[in-house]
Amino acid sequence: MLKIRKNEIQQYLFLLPVFIIVLVIFAYPYIRNLIYSFYDISFGGAESNYIGLKNYTYLLGSGFFWESLWKSLYWTFGNLVIQLIVPLFLAILLNVKMKGIHLARSLIMLPWIAPTVAVAVCMRWMLLPRIGIINAFLTSIGLMEKQIHFLGNNTTAMPALILLNSWKFLPFGTLMILAALQAIPLSVFEAAEVDGATGFQKFRFVTFPLLSSMIWFVGFLAFAWNFNTFDFIWLTTQGGPGTATQTLPVLIYRTAFKTFRLGEASAVTVFIGIFLIILGFFYFSYLTPKEKQ
Amino acid sequence: MAEINRTKNIITIFVIILVLALIIWPFVYIFISSFKPLKEIMSRASFLPVDPTLKNYQTLLFARTPVRDFPRFLFNSLYVSVFTALFTLIISSISGYGIARNRRLRAGLISKFLLFIYVFPTVVLLVPIYKLFTTMNLYDNLFGLIIIYTALVSPFCTWLLVSFLENIPRELEESAGIDGAGTFTTFTRIVIPLASPGLVTAGAYSFITAWGEYMFALILISSNLKKTGPLGLATFTAEQYIEWGPLLSGSILIMIPVFILFMPVSGYFIKGFTAGAVKE
Repeated sequence: MLKIRKNEIQQYLFLLPVFIIVLVIFAYPYIRNLIYSFYDISFGGAESNYIGLKNYTYLLGSGFFWESLWKSLYWTFGNLVIQLIVPLFLAILLNVKMKGIHLARSLIMLPWIAPTVAVAVCMRWMLLPRIGIINAFLTSIGLMEKQIHFLGNNTTAMPALILLNSWKFLPFGTLMILAALQAIPLSVFEAAEVDGATGFQKFRFVTFPLLSSMIWFVGFLAFAWNFNTFDFIWLTTQGGPGTATQTLPVLIYRTAFKTFRLGEASAVTVFIGIFLIILGFFYFSYLTPKEKQ
Repeated sequence: MAEINRTKNIITIFVIILVLALIIWPFVYIFISSFKPLKEIMSRASFLPVDPTLKNYQTLLFARTPVRDFPRFLFNSLYVSVFTALFTLIISSISGYGIARNRRLRAGLISKFLLFIYVFPTVVLLVPIYKLFTTMNLYDNLFGLIIIYTALVSPFCTWLLVSFLENIPRELEESAGIDGAGTFTTFTRIVIPLASPGLVTAGAYSFITAWGEYMFALILISSNLKKTGPLGLATFTAEQYIEWGPLLSGSILIMIPVFILFMPVSGYFIKGFTAGAVKE
């Protein structure tokens, strides 16, 4: 009995390193954020006055906060739709046994592991009017009549960014859904075939239901990641033109490090934190499959 | 029937190659374009360079000024990434082992909690980390970046390693114990070598993440000497006149180490990455 006790304590000790990190780098700063959000803090922190809920009332009464929230939702759901639907087809396509398929699966991962900075910089160049290859291609096949400055235009900036970002994140969903596909035992398909199911029926009634928990998983990760994207947007448009692509993370950065209103930025982060904690709670309590005993 | 299968196979191969080409072409195009002289980069696009040159790489690597010292930026990134990977492996293998060997922890909230940290909105940490690191003398300090990157990746790497570590048969450890090995010896001599595919995955993941990270480098690094590759490259785009030539070659130089590191371990990587997720 004592032996077991000792073992268990030892096992909890093993967890210490990661817990210290989570406490110091995630939990503590987040609580500090909560405190900052009640203060008026200028950059450098020389003076900070307690102002109660003023940061919050200011934000809620301002148009730009709601505009950023709307931009964030537009960005997140736009990305989510593409990053769930396309990988489903890619995964089914790649779920075959043939020579070189492993190489194909590795190559398809490249956009995901490529550093965001490099992708963003190169995409900016490729999207330029007159110079960029994307404009040249789209006009030459007759899809567009004249060249468009995609990232410098209020209506096109957001959709263009969504497409580019989705391109970068397609591999992740593909990889995950492919793994789930491969975990489905072949006998399930054989049984469906014996019962006379067509290809589409097999997908609709066998594959898809068995994939649903993985699709929720990918959806959850993709939602959270996209909602938090800062670097890709900042490196391509800096939230512009104007505020056309200013999502909440960009707003936080701009408020804190460009206009130096740290307290106000903290108030925005509190919103984001609460929003994602609720989302995570729902995901983990309702959508994860119950443990099989 | 065999005939139908063959045409079906050929169509599948064709579609796979087409999709791959669609996904990969930007890298190929950027690579080729990085050998174009400025005149071609700034004019109507042609796919292949008419007059190929190494000038874009030369300006980046040899025309060094204190403000634009790209080799130095790359070296800083290398330094930060190597230590991030090292610290992450130490931390996450210890913690992952603790979880894998305790059924109650494994089935319970802990592994979900680690996964939740993985999707934690890091952007909410900008202000408090900035303030915390300035008071702790970690502002404009590469060691500060190593700390924050290790913190960002180690919860996920722990989660990743659990699925590798729990597959190691307990009997091996027990027999080592009978032979007189203590917990530490068992861990370093038996567990770690057997978990090496997982360690490779976790190590590559943390290296790649640290190598490409931009947001924290942006708020925590200010002096030119300490800029990382991504931060250095990004500052080139903020200049009045954007020089696209060195930007393209710089992008290639930032991507190449990641690809070289990734391709040999991609099999492990894909397996390791998905093993936990399929179970979850």
